[in-house]
Amino acid sequence: MIRPIGSPNAALLVFLFAWSFGFASGAAGQGRLEHLPSPAPSNSSLSRVVANEAGEIYLSWVSQDTEQATLAFSRLTSEDWDTPKVISRGNNWFVNWADFPALSVDASGMVAHWLQISAQGTYDYDIRARFYPKDNATWTAARTIHTDGISAEHGFVSMLPFDNGTTLITWLDGRETKQGNPLGAMTLRAGIFDKSGANVSEWELDHRVCDCCQTSSAMTEKGPIVVYRDRSSEEVRDIYATRLIEGAWTLPQPLHNDNWQIAGCPVNGPSVAAMKERVAVAWFSAKDDTPKIQLVMSSDSGQSFSDPIVVESPNTNGRVGTVILESNEVVVSWMDTTDGAKIVLSRYDIKGNFLDITEVASSSASRRSGFPIIEAVGNSVSVTWTDISTTPQVKVARIDY
Amino acid sequence: MPKPRKPSISQSLLVLIFGAITTLSYPLTAAETDDGNWRIVNYWSEWCAPCRVEIPMFNELSVRLANSQVIIVGVNFDEDPRELTLEIADEMGIEFTVLSQETVDLLGMKPPDVLPTTYLLSPSNEVMAKLIGMQSEQDILEALSLQGLTVLTD
Repeated sequence: MIRPIGSPNAALLVFLFAWSFGFASGAAGQGRLEHLPSPAPSNSSLSRVVANEAGEIYLSWVSQDTEQATLAFSRLTSEDWDTPKVISRGNNWFVNWADFPALSVDASGMVAHWLQISAQGTYDYDIRARFYPKDNATWTAARTIHTDGISAEHGFVSMLPFDNGTTLITWLDGRETKQGNPLGAMTLRAGIFDKSGANVSEWELDHRVCDCCQTSSAMTEKGPIVVYRDRSSEEVRDIYATRLIEGAWTLPQPLHNDNWQIAGCPVNGPSVAAMKERVAVAWFSAKDDTPKIQLVMSSDSGQSFSDPIVVESPNTNGRVGTVILESNEVVVSWMDTTDGAKIVLSRYDIKGNFLDITEVASSSASRRSGFPIIEAVGNSVSVTWTDISTTPQVKVARIDY
Repeated sequence: MPKPRKPSISQSLLVLIFGAITTLSYPLTAAETDDGNWRIVNYWSEWCAPCRVEIPMFNELSVRLANSQVIIVGVNFDEDPRELTLEIADEMGIEFTVLSQETVDLLGMKPPDVLPTTYLLSPSNEVMAKLIGMQSEQDILEALSLQGLTVLTD
């Protein structure tokens, strides 16, 4: 999601940060890469970076010791990262490299979630969340996002600031996998929650989706768009999108007919970004055992999309991220497996023409390295990932275009 | 989620015609990767529902193949530390050998793009088949058959 730099203060913040932290810069391509100090401790992972409307960067992560897992965050100021603050901790969490906590931030407050193992069922877990209304300046008690009361898999959450301080939360909901004969499939659900965490409305967006791919959402000029990996009755698992237009969700439509037929889990969800009427979606597929990352763009808030642009094939294992810059250019993050594994950013102009590629860091194809996450503020892209070369630790970098 | 196919009576009497060479002890060690056996390598994860569904089939098949030149081994897709991997495998009811990451590296295995994925490796550790998604016993036996590993039924 784009967070334009809209004030002199924000621009000053970026400048001061570059001045005070400027080390280890230099990169291939056109983007100026800067590795930032990380506020996350050793044994941290599962990080996300997100920005609010003012262009302030927030970093969240999970740290683990032998006793428990802790979800924490820090805000980047002009001087340094804030002292990390704990959102929640527990010894009954489901901690997973592909399905991990999200943090949503806007002017009205924050929302964060984590996954907690259900009392019943070894592989069943609930989505737990805390809300932080800015006017109360305190986190609410934890609450379960879904209301089914069924011990099943719930996860792969995406969050999006919505109207009047509410938050749109989208998740995969396994309630139907425990009901019916034959048992049902994983579903895609969404709900709107107010600042206190109360459920304002809830929908089932798709009755049969892929079990273990991330969801992604973004706010267009005409409303939110949610993208996800579908699952047809013939086990075709292509990327679909649905939009909330004037209070009703549109019939889910494929972004492209990849026809990737697999009776399994790619563990590789799509990523959507939006700025006003412009939308970009990147995703991974591997039809015919050929890995491929594709990108489509829209100029009508996701009503229609361009033909796909191949970002990379076959030297990738996916793990994509997408942002739109203030310049209208689109940046896609992905894992390059040409020689080992690298986190790279590919940049495209508004017409989809390739501009450049920037190598951010060496990484690992290992699952423990997780999914790199990107966020845009103005024409800068913040990236976070987990370095597993020694003790796992969350890293952060910024690329200025 | 589809339920695993239960083996029929005839399938329960399956015997591979090639003779018994060895029965591996747990866990597989590096030295045992060139033991002349074919390997069925199943990538699983605790959070992968179809992986969990096919585990009982692999358990049963591994028992039937115990005295053959084909062994079934598993790999934790998540690459958790060894101790945690074995703990998870135990919780999932996995009764066949779970490879260490070192052995996976030695076999030259590349992590799959999809879970579950099952590879058939020749005795020289060449990937002879890549079976994507949840497999039935029949699927596995057919993959073996395509390699000339004929199966007799009583």
